[in-house]
Amino acid sequence: MLSQPKFVRLDQFVWEIPQSYRDDMRVPARLYADEGLLNTALSDNSLVQLVNTSTLPGITQYAIAMPDIHQGYGFPIGGVVATRLPHGVISPGGVGYDINCGVRLLVAQTSVEEINPYVKEVASAIYANCPSGVGARGSLHLTNADLDEVLHQGASWMLGQGYARREDVDHTEEFGRIPGADAKYVSEHAHERGRAQLGTLGAGNHFIEVDKIAEVYDNAIAARLHIYRDNIAVQIHCGSRGLGHQICEDYVSRFQKSAHDYGISLPDRELVCVPFDSEEGQQYFSAMACAANFAFANRQLLAHLIRQSFAQILAGRVKDFDLLQVYDIAHNMAKVEEHEIDGNRLRLCVHRKGATRAFGPGSAVLPKGLRDIGQPVLIPGSMGTASYVLTGTTAAMQQTFGSTCHGAGRLMSRVKARKLVRGSDLRQHLKDRGIIVRAGSMSGLAEEAPSAYKDVSRVVDVVHNAGIAKKIARLEPIAVIKG
Amino acid sequence: MTAHQDLRKVSTCEEVEHVADRAFCVHARNLAELLENAAHAMVALDGRPPATERFIRRVIDVDGRDRETLLVNWLNEILYLEQTQQEFYDHFLLSQVTDSHLHAQLYGRQLDHSVTSLKAVTFHNLNVKESQEGFEATIVIDV
Repeated sequence: MLSQPKFVRLDQFVWEIPQSYRDDMRVPARLYADEGLLNTALSDNSLVQLVNTSTLPGITQYAIAMPDIHQGYGFPIGGVVATRLPHGVISPGGVGYDINCGVRLLVAQTSVEEINPYVKEVASAIYANCPSGVGARGSLHLTNADLDEVLHQGASWMLGQGYARREDVDHTEEFGRIPGADAKYVSEHAHERGRAQLGTLGAGNHFIEVDKIAEVYDNAIAARLHIYRDNIAVQIHCGSRGLGHQICEDYVSRFQKSAHDYGISLPDRELVCVPFDSEEGQQYFSAMACAANFAFANRQLLAHLIRQSFAQILAGRVKDFDLLQVYDIAHNMAKVEEHEIDGNRLRLCVHRKGATRAFGPGSAVLPKGLRDIGQPVLIPGSMGTASYVLTGTTAAMQQTFGSTCHGAGRLMSRVKARKLVRGSDLRQHLKDRGIIVRAGSMSGLAEEAPSAYKDVSRVVDVVHNAGIAKKIARLEPIAVIKG
Repeated sequence: MTAHQDLRKVSTCEEVEHVADRAFCVHARNLAELLENAAHAMVALDGRPPATERFIRRVIDVDGRDRETLLVNWLNEILYLEQTQQEFYDHFLLSQVTDSHLHAQLYGRQLDHSVTSLKAVTFHNLNVKESQEGFEATIVIDV
């Protein structure tokens, strides 16, 4: 573990570990936090993991950690690493096993008051229609050719199947499709794991949540996103399921040899990496893009199933229950992006592991309708606590490769959470607060107890006050659906 | 009682706290036993599956460039089979074990749906340590 005196305070919310801290660091490491969150980060090995990422060949400027940082495997969760192309490295562990784990936000133009009498039925319908659990299977049976089309086309494939609207795809990061996907670099094992899992939620911290828009901080921008106080919102948090897990496994295992062949020495084998422009690097990127596209398609199909669930329960009872998509973001991804560094436009491979892209106003990669306000950023809280909608900023472009935090950040181990919290007690506690829970596993529920996480409001205040995202609205849960 | 079962009596494994994921430490007298005990420790994280009388057996071969890669590939292959075949394994018979290869028979039961909550086995700080007392490794699993 690191101790606080190793840090240099650069700003109220920015702390730096100088490159001189360890001989193998290629750049300094930076953490966005207030003093309390800094002390929390010091309580586990996450900052050692952050320092480890600063040793990656080709890393540019600094290794960055967000205020929701916590210990992961290899990279910390809440980390951002950009490597300079073409020779800088790409690391499968820097993306993680759940490639393109992300969040989608939908909103209805109806109030909580109108939907309240039917919320239990809505939650039950979503739970029944959206399969959950790690190995859960969906209702869509894909041929091999269909699956490869999903891997290549992402959310766009859903347009042709009647499971998406054009505006859904337009309001998805990268328009729901990462270019460069090539299914021939995806193993048969990965195909097999993914074939039956499209339109499934998974387990762990993944969820679907029905929310109340509890507070709006910027009415003008919120209105542009169809966000109005006291209306209904729905969040979907999940990723590429077993297909993504298998792709990461395949390449982390394969790169154990490749990294050695390229003479890359690393402090942790989970950090294995290869030059981005190498044959192996390009193959991983093509496979990762396939998993990312699968995840975009997965959240799209879940959105369709949730819309069906709303219609099933609310048709004829409530007006305006249709769900419009605000945006869909990824928070586990490696992407090729251009950023301005010291006055030069550079091509970078930006790894965000538990971090969200937060491109500011004027970014050419955003859809025209959002370009003047910046990219919507979706930050889910822990179960039973608030979530936030923010937008990207110019400061994020200048300081963090257009990145910000991704959630509350874990505080307590799963083992400890299970010891301290009973799932059935937690469900009753949430019920007493008016939050309906539909969950497959009581022990899984206990692991995700709010007390196991940091205070998401404090995390969001740091990124807002540091200027690397701007608060737009706060959501409060009224129903939680979990695997 | 087979030699493997006899050895397992004196080996140990325990869950280790990890902030976000699951981790366990495994001890054994030799590499084959370490691989076998790691498999038992991993499937134990999911608890007992629903009772069923549909018993199954699978035979697999796994390769890796060194002990650590072999260990990770072996455990990940078990997760892959559990998820795609909707099976649960509770007995592992290993043979032909070297630092880079193993042959194994998996015994278990067919289920109606996959019960594992584990996503993937990682290489995080993984080191198969060999000493006079035997073998030891700490394994972190993404959940």
